[in-house]
Amino acid sequence: MTDFNWMIGGEAGFGIMTTGVVFSKIATRLGYHIFDYVEYPSLIRGGHNAYEIHVSDVEVGHLKPTIDVLVCLNKETFDKHALRLTKDSVVVYDETEFKIEGDYKKVSIPFKKIVADLKGQAVMKNTIALGASMAVVGAPLDELLKIIEEQFARKGETVVSFNKEFAKTGFDFVTKNSPQVNKWLIKKDKIDPKLVLTGNEAFSLGAVISDCRLYSAYPMTPSSSVLTVLASWQAKNNMIVRHAEDEISVINTALGASFAGARAAVGTSGGGFALMVETVSLAGITETPLVVFLSQRPGPATGMPTWTEQGDLLFTVHSGHGEFPKIVLSPGTAEEMIELTGKAFNLADVYQLPVIVMSDMFLSEGHKSVSKKFVDNFIANYKVNRGKLLEKITNDKSQMTNQDKNSNFKSKNFLRYKLAEDGISERLIPGVPGYFFQANSYEHIEDGHTTEEAQPRIDQVNKRAKKWLTYLQQDFKLPEFYGDKDAQLVFVSWGSNKGAIIEAQRQLAEKGTKTGFWHFTHLYPMDREKVKTLFKKGSRYVLIENNSWGQFGKLLAAETGITLEEKILKFDGRTITAEEIVKKI
Amino acid sequence: MSNIQDFSGYNPTWCPGCGDWGIGLAIKQAFVQLGYDPSMVGVVFGIGCSGNMNDFLNAYAIHSLHGRALPNAIGIKLANHKLPVIAIVGDGDCYGEGGNHFLHACRGNHDLTVIVHDNGVYGLTTGQVAPTATKGFKSKSTPAGIIEIPINPLSLAITSGATFVAQSFAGDANNTIALIKAAIAHKGFSLVNILQPCVTFNKVNTYQYYLQRTYKLALDYNKNDLKTAVEKSLEINAEKFPLGVIYQTERPTFTDKLSQLNDMTLLERERFLDFEKLMKDFI
Repeated sequence: MTDFNWMIGGEAGFGIMTTGVVFSKIATRLGYHIFDYVEYPSLIRGGHNAYEIHVSDVEVGHLKPTIDVLVCLNKETFDKHALRLTKDSVVVYDETEFKIEGDYKKVSIPFKKIVADLKGQAVMKNTIALGASMAVVGAPLDELLKIIEEQFARKGETVVSFNKEFAKTGFDFVTKNSPQVNKWLIKKDKIDPKLVLTGNEAFSLGAVISDCRLYSAYPMTPSSSVLTVLASWQAKNNMIVRHAEDEISVINTALGASFAGARAAVGTSGGGFALMVETVSLAGITETPLVVFLSQRPGPATGMPTWTEQGDLLFTVHSGHGEFPKIVLSPGTAEEMIELTGKAFNLADVYQLPVIVMSDMFLSEGHKSVSKKFVDNFIANYKVNRGKLLEKITNDKSQMTNQDKNSNFKSKNFLRYKLAEDGISERLIPGVPGYFFQANSYEHIEDGHTTEEAQPRIDQVNKRAKKWLTYLQQDFKLPEFYGDKDAQLVFVSWGSNKGAIIEAQRQLAEKGTKTGFWHFTHLYPMDREKVKTLFKKGSRYVLIENNSWGQFGKLLAAETGITLEEKILKFDGRTITAEEIVKKI
Repeated sequence: MSNIQDFSGYNPTWCPGCGDWGIGLAIKQAFVQLGYDPSMVGVVFGIGCSGNMNDFLNAYAIHSLHGRALPNAIGIKLANHKLPVIAIVGDGDCYGEGGNHFLHACRGNHDLTVIVHDNGVYGLTTGQVAPTATKGFKSKSTPAGIIEIPINPLSLAITSGATFVAQSFAGDANNTIALIKAAIAHKGFSLVNILQPCVTFNKVNTYQYYLQRTYKLALDYNKNDLKTAVEKSLEINAEKFPLGVIYQTERPTFTDKLSQLNDMTLLERERFLDFEKLMKDFI
């Protein structure tokens, strides 16, 4: 059975991230599943980058506690990660540059000399390392050469062959000088094609599938790659991607485009979202659909920009001044990100409100192999539902105000905020001849005009609140359950902790402990009565969160009255691991 | 043909004598003269006495937040660049709270017409200083007189990349109508800064004040020369207010430069379906 952790580390700015993705792609092309994550500091040069990949025969969503292959492009990589090595671990390094102590399977490769002999640049150590790694894990070199061809095709045959030379030299050196240690990455007979996706890429793909036509953002880790991925696709799919002057402009651009009839989204992290919340409120009262992608990192303020945390949940559910409905969703994996992104755009249109899709650094920047069949099925079954959006008026009479009836005006005031049983009024695309309306940030009457009268205020507040009730009846989804139905011990969590918890369940089951796990994705609002029925007296519930307050626990208590006393909380900027959970149980 | 009545919503609640009356009428008149009806224009209102025009002017409109009208207007334009988009804002709204958006909208040459009500005070919050207030202006928020020098909207717009920069006076209806029409007709970012007395809260910058200190640009004034325009705009610093088109130049607009919009608007195009093209990057 193949199940190993491969890690490459080196100085920031020397291609570690690109190298990691190449390894993940090779593993999936050979028929394996991967889950990877990269740790890096908030600077461009000089810090330490470490990219680790969990490769397995079966689907995985977590990292392993031990490192099976550690490729050290510098001494720091070894020093920082030696604690996770075992005597069976393979350590790839250059003994002419530094020595290492300890009982490991050492594979020394003269990176420096090879680069000098072949007249390459320092960054090409990565290519040598990839070639060497292929040999160490028993993968065919051809797969690496093929990727090099694809990567450098545009630069011509000379560049392709030049790079291949480095890969081959690394591969041959290991084959010749070290006995082949493992046969982990033998090409499988049957290969289910997979995409290697980060959470951010999954959101980007989901947004395009959802027919999002405008994405606006200001760069902020860990959400920035949504901006750059979507920007790079514009020429292909004709989406407009605007990098605006600040997050306030970002969200107001999206609101303007959405008012005009285009599906629009924004993306940011906590600090940027803090600047946006004024307009989350504007979307609330003007009932303008908006999708917000919020990828969390540890705060407060600048916090730890390149690390992970789930510290913005309560801020998000309470974002925006005043009382208005919003929906908060939180996927746990790349697959769920695609599904919930698609759903978010439909919910925003159907309920005419802001929908926030929450991620975090761990989900946003870690890759997971996702079955292409899964994505193809999602695409085939996805229907763009724009709700009560009208492109023309068919029932003219329903749109007559008293003022219109008594006048011979050529244009009629469309009743944008007409009271409705389900709380949802019809929405008209601006520009339809013969009509006009305003989306008003002030409290308003049915035709959009400002009001300060008591009754219309009450009517509109109630109308907006009804949208939540309709949502709870039609689209709210209870958490997914994993594990044994009759287990006494039940985990409760949300978001990216999912992979580690499922692995912890597997480890506990091996020890004979049955567990259950409620994973919430539809975080806010919640159906109080339905959620309450999930929690049984006498069971042991353990809340697991990547923050220090147990924010989901507080939200669950506020929304349903259920309090969870036992908690496993982690807030050091690192994700929770299965081993930590098992240890604490 | 539409008429003024078609654009008239509720009766305005502005103070008697307020410059907003003149500006409001000039905007409607300009729309009528351009052959528009209320379904043919997109308007974004800011917050303030000027923004309160939302209920008095019929159009497809957003009554936005204080300072945020410009990014809303940019969003509308990106989604439907065939729709004329006008932002009706105040001086505190556009140059204060929304100052950053103003700078960057100029840089982008977004095809918007921005009509600023410049009266030097925050009327709707009962008369605190605006960024355009004359130095030393005493108000409720600056009882000892404002320390900052006023913003110069014209030079700010010209040097930030606006391609049409005009100034008018609310007391001069004909000139205001003409300038608004020219601004809408101009392709690119157009600013019409309209000097306007606040009869209730500004006892310094009165009708008399402006009548004495405004003048129309000479017929041979060269509005296409950047250096001349910057010099002209700096006259404001000495409380001398030129009226007319201070600067006009041609530069492709933001949407002109988006190849996505070559054939049709963002709204008009078909849904993109070639997902294989995007997915191959991940295999």
